[in-house]
Amino acid sequence: MRKLSVLLLSVFPAIASAAWETNMPRGVTPTSEIAYDIHMLIFYITVVIGILVFGAMLYSIIYHRKSVGHKPAKFHESTKVEIIWTVIPFLILVGMAIPATNALIMMEDTRDSEITLKVTGYQWMWQYEYLEDNISFFSKIDTKSNTARRLNSGVDVTKVDNYLRDVDNYVVLPTDTKVRVLLTASDVIHAWWVPELGGKKDAIPGYVNELWVDIQEPGIYRGQCAELCGKDHGFMPIVVKAVPKQEYYKWVSIQKTNKVAENK
Amino acid sequence: MSANIDKLHDDHHHTPSGIMRWITTTNHKDIGTLYLWFSLIMFFIGGLMALVIRAELFQPGLQLVVPGFFNQMTTMHALIMIFGAVMPAFVGLANWQIPIMIGAPDMALPRLNNWSFWILPFAFTMMISTLFFESGGPAAGWTLYPPLSLQGGDSMPFVILSIHMLGLSSILGAINVIATILNMRAPGMTLMKMPIFVWTWLITAFLLIAAMPVLAGAITMLLTDRFFGTSFFTASGGGDPVLFQHIFWFFGHPEVYILILPAFGIVSTIIPAFSRKKLFGYDSMVYATASIALLSFIVWAHHMFTVGMPLAGEIFFMLTTMLIAVPTGVKVFNWVATMWRGSMTFETPMLFAIAFIVLFTIGGFSGLMLAMVPADFQYHDTYFVVAHFHYVLVPGAVFAIIAAVYYWLPKWTGKMYNESLGKLHFWLTTIFVNLTFFPMHFVGLAGMPRRIPDYAVQFADFNAIASVGAFGFGLSQLLFVYILFDTLKQKVSAEDKVWDGAEGLEWTLSSPPPYHSFEKAPKVE
Amino acid sequence: MSSLKKTYIALTFITIFMFSFSYMLVPLYDIFCEITGLNGKTNQEKFLVVNENPTERFVTVKFTSTIANSAPFQFEPIDREMIVQVGKINNTFYTLTNNSTTLKHATASPSVVPSEHAEYFKKIECFCFSQQQINGLETIELPLQFIVDNELPLETKTLILSYTMFNTTDQIGSK
Repeated sequence: MRKLSVLLLSVFPAIASAAWETNMPRGVTPTSEIAYDIHMLIFYITVVIGILVFGAMLYSIIYHRKSVGHKPAKFHESTKVEIIWTVIPFLILVGMAIPATNALIMMEDTRDSEITLKVTGYQWMWQYEYLEDNISFFSKIDTKSNTARRLNSGVDVTKVDNYLRDVDNYVVLPTDTKVRVLLTASDVIHAWWVPELGGKKDAIPGYVNELWVDIQEPGIYRGQCAELCGKDHGFMPIVVKAVPKQEYYKWVSIQKTNKVAENK
Repeated sequence: MSANIDKLHDDHHHTPSGIMRWITTTNHKDIGTLYLWFSLIMFFIGGLMALVIRAELFQPGLQLVVPGFFNQMTTMHALIMIFGAVMPAFVGLANWQIPIMIGAPDMALPRLNNWSFWILPFAFTMMISTLFFESGGPAAGWTLYPPLSLQGGDSMPFVILSIHMLGLSSILGAINVIATILNMRAPGMTLMKMPIFVWTWLITAFLLIAAMPVLAGAITMLLTDRFFGTSFFTASGGGDPVLFQHIFWFFGHPEVYILILPAFGIVSTIIPAFSRKKLFGYDSMVYATASIALLSFIVWAHHMFTVGMPLAGEIFFMLTTMLIAVPTGVKVFNWVATMWRGSMTFETPMLFAIAFIVLFTIGGFSGLMLAMVPADFQYHDTYFVVAHFHYVLVPGAVFAIIAAVYYWLPKWTGKMYNESLGKLHFWLTTIFVNLTFFPMHFVGLAGMPRRIPDYAVQFADFNAIASVGAFGFGLSQLLFVYILFDTLKQKVSAEDKVWDGAEGLEWTLSSPPPYHSFEKAPKVE
Repeated sequence: MSSLKKTYIALTFITIFMFSFSYMLVPLYDIFCEITGLNGKTNQEKFLVVNENPTERFVTVKFTSTIANSAPFQFEPIDREMIVQVGKINNTFYTLTNNSTTLKHATASPSVVPSEHAEYFKKIECFCFSQQQINGLETIELPLQFIVDNELPLETKTLILSYTMFNTTDQIGSK
């Protein structure tokens, strides 16, 4: 038994660290929260329907089998029943469509944003531009992960901090501020996704998409590219550092000073 | 099959023996057999690629392949499984079953039938050979989204040509199916008396001729964009990469139903047979199938909610997609109602059919979740989607195909398969399929994108489980191959009416049926 | 003609029709974009006749630029932001620098957000989709003259115009 558990631990490296996350994160923005609520609502509805349908099936399998001597009934149609199970699912769907539509209207409303962050996807890194403050920098996978991820690198990736989820330059954003995120790409289609900040949008070369975030809690939020963009698609992480407004403005002024220094 | 029967029935034209028989055959049963074997071989080739993928994903870090090759594997796995395994298997079943279910001597266009099969091996040889090119095979995903697919190496024109050939083969097959069903039914068999499997195939065939040419158009535009200076999909010339996605999914969504409607037909045939009760709501089953097919043309953009559509578009495609749940639900309810108060036995085909209903419904539930656009912004392009479509395609389409093979194998070969081995095959397959695909829901929700060769450590455990499941699933299918060969070697012949609850013209024929099924059309009441 | 043959011909016709339909989707998509403002695709043509009809409303217009495929260009708006009067003609320009030493051809493609309001951003003079020739190490000015339409919904206070500059030298060379 001991041997077995040692074997299991070596096969499933993270059992000890209990990384058995099974659900969508609730996140820290209004959009991620509403996505989570809709997700849970529809999930519970499908669970209830599932219990009813599979329950009826299981009952039938147990009691209506030949081996317990059940004789087949003769019925094979009933317009009444058919109408019932066409109309009821339809009504349930209408019931689900209403909150989903309202959520969508809220999610697509980027008006009254205070800050505009432009994100450009490259093979294979991101460029961030703060339109109002004229700050611009690239952000790519950090060196440690990038070395460890090579084929047969010999590095134990479980020992690398935030393996594949860390970058050289963090995106810094203020909390409690509506930020408009513009998305475009330089070469192929990418998608910018940080689960805890809500959904993703595609970054399409030649076109600009937009989404918005309004981060409620300071913290570091990690994500990655979500649209196949070539061989290193799996290696372009995103890290957003959310800080209180004052700290954000401090960061902005440091960036600007650095830029002036660079230009000299 | 026995050459004696050939001689008896085939006096008006010469039938070559050996390999030439198979190359020149115009007989629907021979062609059906060819399709089915071909699909089984492709199932294993595509399966091997899946195992390369799962082996690499067993642990975080890259151990086996470089990312570029990993992308070739995911791309080829999908192309081979969709166009090489599932579609040819359904066409094979159509070839075998449609004539003997509607009381016809053969398919309407036998020579075309031969041609549409023999295109396939050439197309796939060409497609798979690109893996050995210096620049490798296609790596932009089976969806071939530009601009990424335009960056591909030398493989691209070859892959596009082979997809054209596959499309041609499917269209010819579909024309043949429609012509056969519309013109060669036994007297008295009105459309609303047709076996449900024939109905689902008739609708599928219409979907095929409506959808495949659109795919052909889309990939032709890709080809001209790459080599002839057009700019359908490049922004620099006024084109739009998103346009490709619209055209592709205008084909792609009907394609999804091409892969599942015949499966509905199979399950609707098997469930009544082993419940010893007529199919509940035959008429509504037909209408449900037809409405699913029609709806499939107005839901395509739900595959691309994240491209940045206008709000009205998002709402429209969300609502139409949700609407599909209604006819699909009707089907599931009707299957349960068919089982209800029946007199059920649980032979292998029935087991696979029941597992189909349960697991396909789970896939349907996750489909409904994906239809909710606000949540889809999170689900999109994650392993949740991978879990969803594998639930509808593996325990969906593939289970239905396996169920159909067990159900009709005694009829085709005249021999009974080994029931205990069949049941063992069922239980292994069902356990492993869930072990493989269920954990994918979890990693997807937790934030793992699809199509990545390596992942953050927090996704490690469920990925390891999925990989174990995938190898178990793959190995269990070797048992299936053993059962097939074992059946051919059985000494005892199968009865003509193999299953006591089965209905339909095919069971009035001998097992195996004569080379030409109904020389004289049977009369249907 | 036998019914079999009729079926056969009808089905072949459907197949050919659906193939052509895939090509018909191209202009249909453009019309669809025109109506809905999908992807900010509207207004690729210049507006030749525009009547100025200034109102008391002011909106913010932001300008941004992207260089496609890491071409050897420097491409930037001269104004990053303008407060403009609705219904009045405005002028600005982008600068394009060729960092390489050889002659290059370039094309810009525009995109406006919010895309559903792209139609109210009317370009009178625009360099979109026209070929630019630029010598090595040269800098050129690309003028832009536009007007924000009076019909712009009141709740919209910001419009963003983005240009992506493509290096089309290879495509020109091959023709």
